[in-house]
Formats: sequence, structure tokens, C-alpha cells
Amino acid sequence: MRWVWVPLVVVALLAGASWSAAGPATCALGVPTIKLGVQGAASGPHADYGRQIEMGAQLAIEEINAAGGILGCRLEMRFMDEELRPATAVRNARFLVTEWGAHFLYGVDSSGSAMALGPVLRELDRIQFFTHAATHRLTEELVAQQKIKQIVRVSAPVYQDAVAAWLFRDRRDVRRWATIGADYEYGYATWAIFREQMRRLRPDVEFVGAAWAPFLTTDFSPHIAAVMATNPDGIIATPWAGEAVTLLRQALLQGVFDRIKVWFQAMGGSVDVLEGISQEVKEGRFQGKLYATARYIHNWPNTETNRSFVSRFAKRWNRMPNYSAETTYSAIYITKAAVERARSLQTDRVIAALQGMRIETPAGVRVFRSEDHQFVYAVPAGKVVWDPRYPIAVLGELKVFDPKDYWRWPPFRPLELSK
Amino acid sequence: MEVLAYQGLIGLSSAMYLWLISAGLTIIFGVLGVLNFAHGSLFMLGAYLGYTLYGVVGLPFGVAVLASMAAVALLGAAVERGLLRPLYGLDPSYQLLLTFGLVLFLDDLAKLVWGGVFRIPPIPPWLQGSVVLFGRPYPLYNAFLMATGALVGGGLWVLFDRTWWGRAVRATAADRDMAAALGIRTPGVFSSVFMLGSALAALGGALSTPVRPVAPGIGAAMIVQAFIITVIGGLGNLRGAFAGSLLVGVLSSYGTLWFPEFELFFVFAIMAAVLLVRPQGLFAR
Repeated sequence: MRWVWVPLVVVALLAGASWSAAGPATCALGVPTIKLGVQGAASGPHADYGRQIEMGAQLAIEEINAAGGILGCRLEMRFMDEELRPATAVRNARFLVTEWGAHFLYGVDSSGSAMALGPVLRELDRIQFFTHAATHRLTEELVAQQKIKQIVRVSAPVYQDAVAAWLFRDRRDVRRWATIGADYEYGYATWAIFREQMRRLRPDVEFVGAAWAPFLTTDFSPHIAAVMATNPDGIIATPWAGEAVTLLRQALLQGVFDRIKVWFQAMGGSVDVLEGISQEVKEGRFQGKLYATARYIHNWPNTETNRSFVSRFAKRWNRMPNYSAETTYSAIYITKAAVERARSLQTDRVIAALQGMRIETPAGVRVFRSEDHQFVYAVPAGKVVWDPRYPIAVLGELKVFDPKDYWRWPPFRPLELSK
Repeated sequence: MEVLAYQGLIGLSSAMYLWLISAGLTIIFGVLGVLNFAHGSLFMLGAYLGYTLYGVVGLPFGVAVLASMAAVALLGAAVERGLLRPLYGLDPSYQLLLTFGLVLFLDDLAKLVWGGVFRIPPIPPWLQGSVVLFGRPYPLYNAFLMATGALVGGGLWVLFDRTWWGRAVRATAADRDMAAALGIRTPGVFSSVFMLGSALAALGGALSTPVRPVAPGIGAAMIVQAFIITVIGGLGNLRGAFAGSLLVGVLSSYGTLWFPEFELFFVFAIMAAVLLVRPQGLFAR
């Protein structure tokens, strides 16, 4: 009699194996798995961003799958190197959708790649959740004007970099501003929006110098020397990732921090930058004059959601989460919320489900702006400090401003971009 | 005036990196006739080894730089003997394909060994700080680079003009068959020249680590500038490479000061101007 149980056990084991291999039999969306195609820079001085995008996505997927997936469907990810090249990003997107069968896309790091992807997304009819590329044109032009509905941005756009104007509006001793800018759209847009905001807040300031460094610049010495020749009080710098670390170290070598009053490193609140300059911060070599922001910083907001995310991320990866990790992590949870609301993977229905969405994420509450498919949330700016509670330098003396003050709002008027 | 002088000095230190990498490139082309696309990757390997030996293992900076040069020189010897030698009699396009393949291989190898993220160790304490020049602090590290570049230039001049080995190299470069007939072991000369060029690339890379990020692909950015310099100076001409490096380094620095909008274009404009006036390069005979 007891042998009767053997086939039953075998059947149960086989059923279990098929669940783990192909997803639960109860997937309400009729697909074996929901496929997420993810892209980010995975090589060169900016490679940590792609790595963080991948880590954030992986963590979200593991958590969601462990909790039963989305409507019973398991998630599956494929990550590809964007190489910060628009042609590569487009090729990857086409592969991910047409060959691999991605239902949703995530990433990318470069604004150039984002702008190239926009029209392709309409053709592929797949939603891409942008989690780093910051150009305002992505949402203002491609969504609000050209109505490419497949674009959704979860990360704060280049507006965030203009928070510097608000941060220093009361510093009457900082009147002469210069930039060491990334020599492409992101750098130009930051400088343009910063100047626009600053002129409004502080008509007395002057913009005295600019030097532009292209991608993969390794020697910023001429740029630093050229800008310092204009005797600025403050410098706003937009090279990011490894280039930001290089720039700051070379600025220290030229004694820049002895001569200026403030330096704002736009995305200097990023974990890879803070790791790279930790020793110098600890030694006080920036003399308390280095300020930064990011599109999320791990020590703000002080909510249970954020603390828990940071703790789980650090436990899983032995690193602090960068903003590209948080934005991608949140984008996947936004996908989950939208798909559960739409009960469909169809683009139109998922976009309809995003309308009016207000969702708690590690970075705080994000609110979907229907005119341009931009999620709105606040990120603070602050001074780069050493806090013994953390293994790396962090942003301290945080100031949070209402996005209503420093973000651009529809109807959008074109922004004059120039070097 | 002080601004101009300071900007020029900053340009001079940038020129030294360019000099170290283009010197090796032009020596290899001048003697072996090989346009080595992978020369930038040797710069990158030198940087990674310098970072590892100095920043991770903890060797003194100078020892780490010399060990990186030696390791990359040995790799250069292996590449010359194992990969390039069978191609000497064939169409030059085979060499280009091979060295381009090496670029892809070495970049991916670096990614496998060191990962995709950038690395940047601390500056050696004895090279931190600055000296005041033209009323502004000038980094000691940049001054050190200029001194090193000048030493390398002097050393190469002695090596090529005042030693038996240098005469053998020049003879081989002028007429390979005649040199062999005179008893010079030309295969050995080729290997040693390739090793020297590789070591120079590694020197540039290792010296860059404390102030520049090391990451896969950094060689690609360097090799483009090195090619521009060798074209400006005259392919295969060492004096031309030195002058071309100074020209590009210093004028680029002034370009950043005067024409920040056209910085990227500026280097190519210099090359175009030289090619219009002297298509064979400034120092080609």
C-alpha cells in the first residue's frame, strides 16, 4: 500500500521542477516569464553605473520572485552593455525586444543613447523605464511634444543639477561662477538651467568662464587651469563617475580649493565618486567647500522603506546603492504596480495604469507626471563630509527643495543650449 | 602673460604622456614597419599593472612603475615573436587586423581580470603638493612628469645615437637585408625594439595611474592622439614624435583656454594644418 505514494511523490517533484523552470502554472498574464531587458554602461570610467543598474534590477527581481512574482508570473532579466554609444543602445534594444522577447526595457546611462532610443521604442512598441539618462529633451521633446508614449523616466532629470542655484542663493560671497562641463548635452543643459535659475534668484552673479571636457577625458589639468584663470568664486562641474574623481583629484593638485569658495559636483553624491574621494574627504583636503547632489542618495530620506532598501542592498552586494541602482530597483516595482493594476503587459494598458500613480520608493514618494511621463520626487543637495557611521564619504548638511521650485514644468518652452 | 605661461606649462605636462606613448609607437613603426593598433592597450596594461603593484600590492611607486614596464616589455616580446613575425612578409593589412584583434582581446582580458569599473590609487606622498609658478600652485606631479619625459627623451637619444645597439637598429631600419648581411641579428633587433616600444607605453600608463582613472578602453583614447602625433611629426620619426607631442599638448591646452567651444576639434585642426603644409609630417626626411 505504501508504494502507492511513490508515483504521487514523483508527480509532485516534477510539478515543482516545472514551476521553478518555467514559472508558476498560475501566471495570470499567459507568459512563461516576464522578461526585463536592462542596459547600462558596463565598461570604461563610467562602468560602475551599469553595474549598479544591474545590481538594483537583480535585487528587485529576486525580491519580487520570492514573493510570488507579478500576478503569479516570475521575472527574468537580461543585462547588456550600452557602452555609452547610441548605436549600441539601439542595437541592444532591438535585440532585447525582437530576439529575446523583452516585455519591458530599463536603463540607460547616456543622454545621447536615450535620445536615440526614443523613436525606436515607438517602433518596437515597448515601454522603456529610463533610470539614469538625464537630458530634459527626452521627456520634454520626445514625450510632451512628439508623444512617444513608450518613454517613462523614473530618475530625476538634469533639473536636479540646477538645485545648486537654490543651494547657494544666500551665499552673497559667491558671485563669480564658472563651469567645467561635460562636453555634450548633459553638460550644456546643466549650465543653461543653472544660469537661468541663478539669474532669477541672484541677478548680481556673473558667469565668468567655461571649459568643456569630452567623454573619456583623463587629463583635466588644462580645463582646470583655464577656468581658474577667470578667478571664479564657485565652480559647477558635470563630468561624472570616474571622470569626476579624476577631475577633483587634479583640482586638488592645482590648489583649487585654496582659491575658490564652493565647488558643486553635480552628480558627486554618487557612490562611486564618494568612494573614489573618501580618503581626501577624510583628510579634509576639500576644506568643506565641496558640495554635491545626485538622483538619489542612500542616506536620505530617513524612512523605513529607504533604510530597509539600503540594508538589503548592502547585505546582497556588499556595496552602498548608487542612484542608478535605486532608480532601476524602483522602476521594476513601478512596473509591478502598473502591471498589477492593468492586469496586462500591453503597452497602452500599462501606460494607462501609470496615470496618477503615486508610489512609495526608497528615494521617497514618486508621482507620475502625465504630460511628459516623468516621475517627480525630491533629492537633497549637501556638503561632502566624512561621517564615521559610513564606510565612505557621504553628503551631509542636507537641504531639500521642493521640485516645484527648481524643476521645469509643462508647458515647456525650449531651452537655449549653448556652451 | 602669467595666465599664458601657466597654461603652457600645464600643456607641457600633458604632452609628456603623449610623448611616452607616441615614442613607442613611432619607434616600432620606424624599425619594424608595423602600425601597432594595440599600442594603446599596452599603455592600458601598464596602467593596470602599475595600479595593482602600487595601489594593491603596496610596492613603492617607482618599483611598481619599473616592474610594469618589464612585464609589458616581456609581453611585447611574446607578441612580436609569436604573432607578428609570421606576418612580416605578408600584406600590411594582416598586421593591422592582428593588432586590432589584440586591442579587443586585451580590453576584454583587462575587464575579466580587473573588472569593468575604474581604478585610481592614491598619489605617492612624495609627489603630492605643489610649487608656486607664475603666481599659481603648479602640481609637483606634473613637474615630475615633465622631468621624466625629458629624461626618456635624452635616454632614447643616447640609446639610438651613441650605442652599438642603436646603430644596429638604425641600420636595420634603413635596409633590413643589408644589415643582416653585415651580421646584425635582425630578428633580435626587431624583438628588442618592440620590447622598448612596449615598455615606453607601459611607462606612460603606470605613471598615469595616481592621477587618471584606469579602466578598460582607456588605451583607445590614447592611441588616437598618438596616431595624430606620429602623423604630425612624420611616421617613424622620433624627433617628430617629440615635437608633435609638444605641439599637440601645448596647443590643446591653449585651445581649452581660448576656444573652449572647439576643444575637441582643435587637435584635428592642428593635424589638418600640418598635413596641408607638409603631408609627410614635420620631421620626415
